[in-house]
Amino acid sequence: MDPELINLAIEGLAVLGCIGLVFGIGLALAAHKFAVEINPKIEEVKEVLAGAQ
Amino acid sequence: MQNIKHYRMFLWSILIYGLIFSGCTPEHRFIKKAVFKGTNRISITFAGPVDKKWAEDLKNYAIYEKPDPDILLTISSAKVTDDPCTVILHFEDELNQDKPHVLTLKEIISEGKSIGSAVITVKKLYLGYLFSILIGAMLIHNFVFTKYLGLCVFFGTSQKKSTAIGMGITFTLVMVFSAMMSWFLYQFVLKPFRLDFLQIVVFIGMVSLSVQAVDTILRKINPALFKAFGVYLVLVIANCIILAVPLILADNEYNAWESMMLAFGAGLGFLIALFLMSSVRERLEIAKVPPTYKGLPIAFVVAGLFALAFMGFSGMAIF
Repeated sequence: MDPELINLAIEGLAVLGCIGLVFGIGLALAAHKFAVEINPKIEEVKEVLAGAQ
Repeated sequence: MQNIKHYRMFLWSILIYGLIFSGCTPEHRFIKKAVFKGTNRISITFAGPVDKKWAEDLKNYAIYEKPDPDILLTISSAKVTDDPCTVILHFEDELNQDKPHVLTLKEIISEGKSIGSAVITVKKLYLGYLFSILIGAMLIHNFVFTKYLGLCVFFGTSQKKSTAIGMGITFTLVMVFSAMMSWFLYQFVLKPFRLDFLQIVVFIGMVSLSVQAVDTILRKINPALFKAFGVYLVLVIANCIILAVPLILADNEYNAWESMMLAFGAGLGFLIALFLMSSVRERLEIAKVPPTYKGLPIAFVVAGLFALAFMGFSGMAIF
């Protein structure tokens, strides 16, 4: 294999991995910061109901 | 506080004036303006009357398109108009007006004395170009009716006018957001690292990321808006227009403003298509349609008719 191609592949993996990591962390932080409290009772009531529909 | 406001307004006005007048700035004190006329003419207006013999000698002009200075364009004739300050250059071939042209005028002679040489750039008004991208994406190359993209969501959400408008607005917002991010990523990450063959994969990730981000942020910041539009957000991912736009941007090497205009135009075009379709389908609900055609089949027929009507725009150009 051409070492240049291998270099390209490794660089690509590293760069895209970093981008993915950065954006993933960003989304997680955003989800944490903008978290909306959902009333846990809604889930409980839904559990108890028949749920055919 | 007041000072900061003034300062900002000053900056904005400079930016706007720059955009407006970047198309017709004189670069030489003796030349007032140089603009494209028709398909193969350039008109140059001087500040004073020029010598007729100088103006009609073709050896005094040299012109090339900005990217390649080696290829000189051939001028077939140069004429002084009735107004002695204006010269019109005729070219043998049509000019590619999307590219700036660099025009050199050698030793301009006016009223017997030499003014010196001038190098000027002739280009189209940039705002006009941006506007033509917007209208082009919205009507002339409407993504739904001329490129047949995004049909799944198009038929799914065009049953009621309220749904159609909600989907259209949500789509436009997410479209602009994700197109700008994709443009940034393409220009500053994919191209420098020679990874442009991975653009589709990256753009898919970008679209889902922006949808997720808008979803999370909107849910907290504006719950009322989220209640109205949140349902459509998930549907945006399933739309192929949102993937087509970054690919077109990457292919055409658009800059930030042009990308924004294309994304905005695509979003508005989708909104228009949805609105038109939903208006017809609301009427179809009460029309007497043969039972085999009820529902989706007649909707496809109507969409085909719309596509035929939109063919009327094809080949049009603005500016």
